[in-house]
Amino acid sequence: MTESTETFKDVPCTFCGCLCDDIDVQVEEGRIVKITNGCAISKERFLGHMENRCPWPSVKGEKVSLQEAIERVVEIIASSKRLLIYGLSSTENDAQREAYKLAELAHAVVDNTTSVCHGPTILGAQESGKAGASLAEVRHRSDLVLYWGANPAAAHPRHIPRYVRQPGEYIQDPKEERKIWLVDIRATTTSRMVDRFIRIEPGTDLDVLLTLRALIRGHTLDASEVGCVSISELEEMATAMKSAKYGVLFFGLGLTQTRGRHRNVDAAIRLIQDLNAYTKWTMMPMRGHYNVSGAHKTSTWVTGYPYAVDFARGYPRFQPGEYTAVDMLARGEADALLNIASDPVAHFPRAAVAHLMRIPVINIDPKINMTSTAAEVNIPAAIAGIECDGAATRMDGLPLYLKKIVEPPEGVIPDRDILRMIHDSLQKVMKK
Amino acid sequence: MTAQLVLKNGVVFDPANGIDGEVMDICVSDGKIVEKVSGKAKVIDLKHCAVMPGGVDPHSHILGSKLGIARLISPESNRHHPYPATRNTRSGVAGIIPSSFATGYLYSAMGYTTVIEPALPAVKALGAWEEIDDIPGLDIGLLPMFGNSMITYRYIQDDDISGLAAYIAWTMKKVGGMGVKVVNPGGTYAWAYGGNVCGLQDPVPQWDVTPRKIMTSLAEAVAALGLPHPLHLHPNNLGRPGNVETTMQQLDALKRAKIKGKDRRAVHLAHMSFDCLGVVEDGMAKWKDVASGGLTFAEYYNKNKHFTVDLGQITFGASMTMTGDGPFQYSLYLMSGGKAKWSNIPVDVELPGGAGIVPFTFEPKSPANSVQWAGPLEFALSVKDVWRLVMSTDHPNGGPFLKYPLVISWLMSRKQRDIWLEMVHKNARERSTLPEIEREYTLNEIAITTRAAPAKILGLEKTKGHLGVGADADITVYGFNPEKTELAKRPDLILKYFTQAKLTFKGGQQISKKGIVGKQIPSRVLSVHPELNDDLSARIDMELEEMMDKWFSHSFSNYPVPMRYRQHLEIPKVIDSTAIRA
Repeated sequence: MTESTETFKDVPCTFCGCLCDDIDVQVEEGRIVKITNGCAISKERFLGHMENRCPWPSVKGEKVSLQEAIERVVEIIASSKRLLIYGLSSTENDAQREAYKLAELAHAVVDNTTSVCHGPTILGAQESGKAGASLAEVRHRSDLVLYWGANPAAAHPRHIPRYVRQPGEYIQDPKEERKIWLVDIRATTTSRMVDRFIRIEPGTDLDVLLTLRALIRGHTLDASEVGCVSISELEEMATAMKSAKYGVLFFGLGLTQTRGRHRNVDAAIRLIQDLNAYTKWTMMPMRGHYNVSGAHKTSTWVTGYPYAVDFARGYPRFQPGEYTAVDMLARGEADALLNIASDPVAHFPRAAVAHLMRIPVINIDPKINMTSTAAEVNIPAAIAGIECDGAATRMDGLPLYLKKIVEPPEGVIPDRDILRMIHDSLQKVMKK
Repeated sequence: MTAQLVLKNGVVFDPANGIDGEVMDICVSDGKIVEKVSGKAKVIDLKHCAVMPGGVDPHSHILGSKLGIARLISPESNRHHPYPATRNTRSGVAGIIPSSFATGYLYSAMGYTTVIEPALPAVKALGAWEEIDDIPGLDIGLLPMFGNSMITYRYIQDDDISGLAAYIAWTMKKVGGMGVKVVNPGGTYAWAYGGNVCGLQDPVPQWDVTPRKIMTSLAEAVAALGLPHPLHLHPNNLGRPGNVETTMQQLDALKRAKIKGKDRRAVHLAHMSFDCLGVVEDGMAKWKDVASGGLTFAEYYNKNKHFTVDLGQITFGASMTMTGDGPFQYSLYLMSGGKAKWSNIPVDVELPGGAGIVPFTFEPKSPANSVQWAGPLEFALSVKDVWRLVMSTDHPNGGPFLKYPLVISWLMSRKQRDIWLEMVHKNARERSTLPEIEREYTLNEIAITTRAAPAKILGLEKTKGHLGVGADADITVYGFNPEKTELAKRPDLILKYFTQAKLTFKGGQQISKKGIVGKQIPSRVLSVHPELNDDLSARIDMELEEMMDKWFSHSFSNYPVPMRYRQHLEIPKVIDSTAIRA
């Protein structure tokens, strides 16, 4: 090893909501050269962190200084009447907190990507509560793990190998003592890994969940199949779920963003609550972006509400469907967009993107993404967990400290510092 | 900032220094109370307004994941309570579970300056520190939970009090804790498989420990470490009619624990309102038979001096129940007929089974709720020594801390109690002695139970809860002249004056005036760092690394809260625990 080689141990990976914090990162002369323990995505995240970078601040494609870019941002915000601040789930908590402060000052709407992934999960919980799980408890105790509308093998590659197919204190042999089931509408990489795959008809999640609830409560149903699954199989599933010692339901966007949406989640919550009359069951959403759990957590403590927060009246109000980013844009209501650490142009429906193309967009991101091409102002940011520190929240609510491994490219600063500069400059302009 | 300040002509209530309503001047220099100031000082003439030390709340759930989940599942709790931003302060919501900034401001407006968050899952402490950054104007303490942790059980099973004490010391230093909390010892752990415990000798699944052994071992470890605050106990059987008997059994068990140290109390019993329910004669342990246990418990309290108590007074209206007592919360959900929004938050190794959250409304016309309301008042008005008693609502369980003025009015005014006794269900009158009680708390007793006593119980009596020289200049001025105001006859005035302090000073800085917060200052975190001897320290580092690597789902090295989140907030008190043998 040369003197300029350094190994960072137990580094959290800032890609998905698993936030695996056992990554060892080897740095040579300021460059990441090797990582161990990470999945394929994690390798790409660390080793490829310099690829496709947004090289410098720009306004209308022209390279400018950071100060000039901030000045233009402040002009846009000061002249807007209905600013939308969006994104925030692929950055650390301090950046999110700065965004709320800015939103309050600008009387803006601030929304995070929860609104397009597990927003319905939160609405379901607002209806019915939430019997949550924790990942260590799952590993030590669960004997039945049910994935629903999720494909962890592709989206959370270490979810099964790191948290589920591991021996725990009270489950010594995870292959024998723990069963993994998957409910989905088609065969996936995950379906080939699990002990049992239950394929249901697309759009019938709610029907199947309600049927399971009825069967668990001991009702007999006048139907031979529901969602393409025979009643006898559903009955057998219900019995197995009731007789598990500790069950856990992991659910993904296949449940939250298909027909029924928050009604699906509501039914799933009630199913889990019903099961607790017989045995122990818990549930957990498969959160995608590494800190989307942090985004709704910080939003909730600062504003009282998890996402879709409007500061137009000088205090926070919550109204999903009204103050959610897609709806604000599709309705043509937002007259400027400040996007931080997400890519709405790549992911939003056409009507929302069409409006987004008509208004000034400010894009703060380490990399060039689809939204960069639509943005009037682009400001590069340091990558949290690689080029700056911070805190993030794992999908089960565990907070973890993100480490700084290497220096960011010259002149590039963290999201939180960019947002603080915007806030302070805007405050000066508003005082004038 | 005014470095020097003189508050002239206040009518001072400072029970810790034996001052009961004397007209005095108070001098402040550099955030501390001093004998006298020299040279330039800002002078404020208080014109005979009442003055007390800043309020000290030893048990209020103001932050952490349980608050986050509660806010998240119940936006309706805050919907109609906006808290607008001002030039100097941030916005938020101010319902029964206020947002972070509003929590700080609302406490300041009421004249409170120190608040203890009594249920910290230590492994999630990083989130708590971040949140405290957004709760201004308070001194905050955190009580990590140890009563259902696999690590605790391992040490207790091995009869290893040194190891247990070292685990506590290690955790308090790594996450910045102030004391030790126990919630339903053994019961929450059993909830990991849907179970619970109810008797002192009940077995805890998978471990050779009992609730009795857990409580006494932890109390002994706390005493061995010399922590300023005794074990902070949420007992077994919380919220069950008739549980006053099992609570007294648990306190008896702790009385027999090996507690060394003069004047050392074994335990602080949290929220007695939920722990001391009686039943009617020949009744069953059912809600239809519930009676006040307040008098029974007061008699026990008057005879036994080894513990202190906070009320957790039930107030009526919307509340949000949240405890580290998973099985209790599930039982509340069942009581709602499965209609309530039941949430559960398990915490890996430290609280398997986990905390629970259920929104709840206490109805004045409910036979059970009316008795629950009468019980703690009956208790508080029947005890002899108020120095062991603290006014609280177990915010937001018994009701939000915003209801403290109402609780004060019940304690201070028989007239107010009679008004409420008429409004609530008759069971409050028939199943408690409250209607016959004439006692009315004096302002001095209010100052004890909201300031001096909690400061002493928390081990903060040098700097908090009094106005003598050397105290932190945390001062509350109320907008009435106690010489001319008969509060007992005017409960409406009690509500008015105690809801909005005329002036609140924190560390000598005026942060609120007539309930309006005009200045935002950062909070501080008061923590205790027990120093172990080198042998024990080396041993615990090694053993915890082994256990945490095996049991937690994240890396051992990522457990501590990094200094970057602590150094600007934390005031650690280092204590010498090196006498504990390895």
